Amino acid sequence: MSRPNTASKERYDDMEQLNDITSAAVKKLLELGAQKAQACAARTETREFNVEGGEFNLLRTLFDNSLSLTAIKDGKKGSISGNRFDGAAIAEMAADCISSAADGDPDPAWDIAPAENRGSFLVGAPECDLDLFFERLRELVADIKTRHPLIMIEQLIAQHIKEKEVYLNSNGAHFETTSGCYDVSLMFSAHEGEKGSSFFETSVRTAELSKPMIELGSFESDLAAVEKQIDTVPVEGKSTGTMVLAPGCLNEMLEMAIFNFTGDIPMLNGTSIWREKLGQKVADERLTVSRAPFDSRIVFGERHTGEGFASEDFDLIENGVLKSFSLSNYVANKTGLPRAKNSSSCLLVAPGERPLAEIIAGIDNGILVLRFSGGEPGVNGDFSGVAKNSFIIRGGAIAEAVSETMISGNLDQMLRSIRDISCETVENGSSVLPYIAFDGITISGK
Amino acid sequence: MLVENLSSFRNEFSPGAHTELRAQLNRSRRVAMVSGSLAVNSRSDVSGVSARVYRGGTYGFSSAAALDGDSVRAVLSAATQNALFMDRHIARGMPPLPSVPAIEHSAPYELADPPQKVYLDAVRELDSYISEKYPELAGRTVMAYSDWVEKQLCTSDGCAAFSSVPRSYIYIGLTAVADDGSPVELFDPDGGFGVFDAVFPTVDPVKERADRLYELLMHKREGVYAEAGLKTCILDGMLSGMLAHEAVGHTVEADLVLSGSVAGHCLNKQVASELVSMTDFAHTAFGETAPLPVRFDDEGTPASDAELIKNGILTGYMNNRELARRFDMAPTGNARAWLFSDEPIIRMRNTAVLPGSSKLEDMIASVDDGYYLINTGNGQADTTGEFMFGVTMGYEIKNGRLGRALRDTTISGVAFEMLKTVDMVSDSVVWTSSGFCGKKQPMAVGMGGPALRCKMTVGGR
Repeated sequence: MSRPNTASKERYDDMEQLNDITSAAVKKLLELGAQKAQACAARTETREFNVEGGEFNLLRTLFDNSLSLTAIKDGKKGSISGNRFDGAAIAEMAADCISSAADGDPDPAWDIAPAENRGSFLVGAPECDLDLFFERLRELVADIKTRHPLIMIEQLIAQHIKEKEVYLNSNGAHFETTSGCYDVSLMFSAHEGEKGSSFFETSVRTAELSKPMIELGSFESDLAAVEKQIDTVPVEGKSTGTMVLAPGCLNEMLEMAIFNFTGDIPMLNGTSIWREKLGQKVADERLTVSRAPFDSRIVFGERHTGEGFASEDFDLIENGVLKSFSLSNYVANKTGLPRAKNSSSCLLVAPGERPLAEIIAGIDNGILVLRFSGGEPGVNGDFSGVAKNSFIIRGGAIAEAVSETMISGNLDQMLRSIRDISCETVENGSSVLPYIAFDGITISGK
Repeated sequence: MLVENLSSFRNEFSPGAHTELRAQLNRSRRVAMVSGSLAVNSRSDVSGVSARVYRGGTYGFSSAAALDGDSVRAVLSAATQNALFMDRHIARGMPPLPSVPAIEHSAPYELADPPQKVYLDAVRELDSYISEKYPELAGRTVMAYSDWVEKQLCTSDGCAAFSSVPRSYIYIGLTAVADDGSPVELFDPDGGFGVFDAVFPTVDPVKERADRLYELLMHKREGVYAEAGLKTCILDGMLSGMLAHEAVGHTVEADLVLSGSVAGHCLNKQVASELVSMTDFAHTAFGETAPLPVRFDDEGTPASDAELIKNGILTGYMNNRELARRFDMAPTGNARAWLFSDEPIIRMRNTAVLPGSSKLEDMIASVDDGYYLINTGNGQADTTGEFMFGVTMGYEIKNGRLGRALRDTTISGVAFEMLKTVDMVSDSVVWTSSGFCGKKQPMAVGMGGPALRCKMTVGGR
């Protein structure tokens, strides 16, 4: 395989250039009157294969830059971002950034990280083995056709992203990061004649290509589940039962709760119903939820926040007790609460003690939900939406796939109503999550 | 121009392959004030050049974050090599794409980029207005946002075109606390095509919208939860537009048809009541410029309206050049890319249910027991046509009159079943264009529709 644009490969290896760019940008912002300034510059090189309608149809090679500047002048903050690295562009961006700050409002809560935040990191797999990557993808497509003949690959997007990044601020905080990983996102549905299932999407992030891709993450189990969803039945009537969330869906529901109850905007607005709950019980005592970009099972984890603080793993909820909000440094300063120790989306939930099959065997009336298609929950945590790619649980066993079935409840109450947590977890490179069964969920059909 | 004489690079295109060369600049400006704190004050300009080459049935693509001649040559070379790689390994053996008429087009206007102060002043004025007039609110968010996409396109079919599409919005979110202690919120976008200071020469009209939003919020604060089940509903224009986009539009995008969407088996079949017609408008709708006009797409195809449903019959798909050939249809010009580094994929433009002849008041008066659903926060749909929309504002209808307001709820159904229940269509269309459609890349889209009376599954609590 020939490598397009080899000149950019040479250019790419030059971390010094990124250091020069960030130094020049910070210097310029200070010259223009900023008391505090930060710059983050990155070069990325992306290789991407696409499969559409079951067939390979596109190879992309992307060379991109990014430069973001922040200035604090007289307590006022301005931010600007762009993708040009030439001296004229940096000078223009710096002037625009200062101008935006000058027009803003003073707020003592704006700040940048202190000097002790420094580091140099190598994360994941920066070099792409394009030929092996392509072979593994062809193998994945072939394995799906062989093992799951009813599956139609609607879209497969497989990328290797290589990045070099430098962060620098006027206090002296400085990070150099070289990173890379393979991301494979698979969207598919099952078909038989004119009948078809709902689409499903699953993804994996990995730093190495030693295994067939179908063995990674939950690809195999997700493909097998969707093959059983061509024939569906609507749930009749309305009942209260147990909802078992598969790991991918658990991720989505937990993120909604974390945003609604611990995020910047609800905390700044004062609308979070957990705003007074730090150190108090907010969930079942078996629940521990962490943000852990340094966990060995996480690929490409964050090493510093956008505000220049070195990232650290932390627990959001430990044994049911709220241990941290998800606050930026700005909102932490506004509210007087501690900032979150990282701003990543790497979500880990501690496993339980019983296998999923045993948990399901104890459920008389419930639903196993693989995907939730719902409106954004209200600020009070109320949610409702359609249970997609889901199966009814009846008499302790997984029964028919369902259609046109709504589930509704309240995220706050849900976290307090955990029936059980599985001992199995799915590791997809971005998260490590079990299945969790929640009681008291409204399940309704036509 | 982003790149001088972009068309002069045509003689460096690979012979015998279809090639697109595009230079692009995306600007975005954002200012947000959350309960009086200036939480966001940012600007972004992202530009670059990209090339896509079609050879033998597969594509190669490359992009670079620069607008100089060396970068143009580099992406042309890399895209060509990628196309050769794919053709060598996949070997579909497809002939070249049929040509489309060569077009030359220039945006007929030159616009100035407003300074950040314009956005800041607008947000400050509105935030002060709301905080002084409604001090009892639990929270408020005011955001000014604009994006502006300039594209310069040159193709091997002879297209040499430039477009400039700015859009600008002000979003207001209000939060109150209900008597039971739970927070209740409403959100309203206002704006459309144009640069910010042209769309909002004054924010006085937005103040009136804020007053109306507050009034609705007070109704919602006293609201009730909808009763779950299959109900007679009147979907107002925002919701019928969402229906046109999410529940029908995506299923009739030719790439999703190819991947097995429900519409693949429904062409020329009855999929809706005879009262329902639906079109994806390119640039002109009902005799006026559409909310986000598209004159040509990023494959160089002149954009034309895509008729999707006519009198209840599914009549067509939105396509790109490759899939127009595959489905034996005329190219509609729906292939669009969001950033310079994105390849063109099939996207909607201005998708709308066409108006009927009923009056909204008569439609409400015709319902004994049902719901009038006005606003939506978001929506999702499946390639099976099964959809779900969050409803953020609505009212009960009892004996032909509006009753109590509703708390947040959800509606769902299967598009081609639900549309067969439509038995009244109002005579006026409501458009919106403030959001993004997500399908690999974001994309600015317009959507609209009249009010529809139909049967719909309501989620309740």
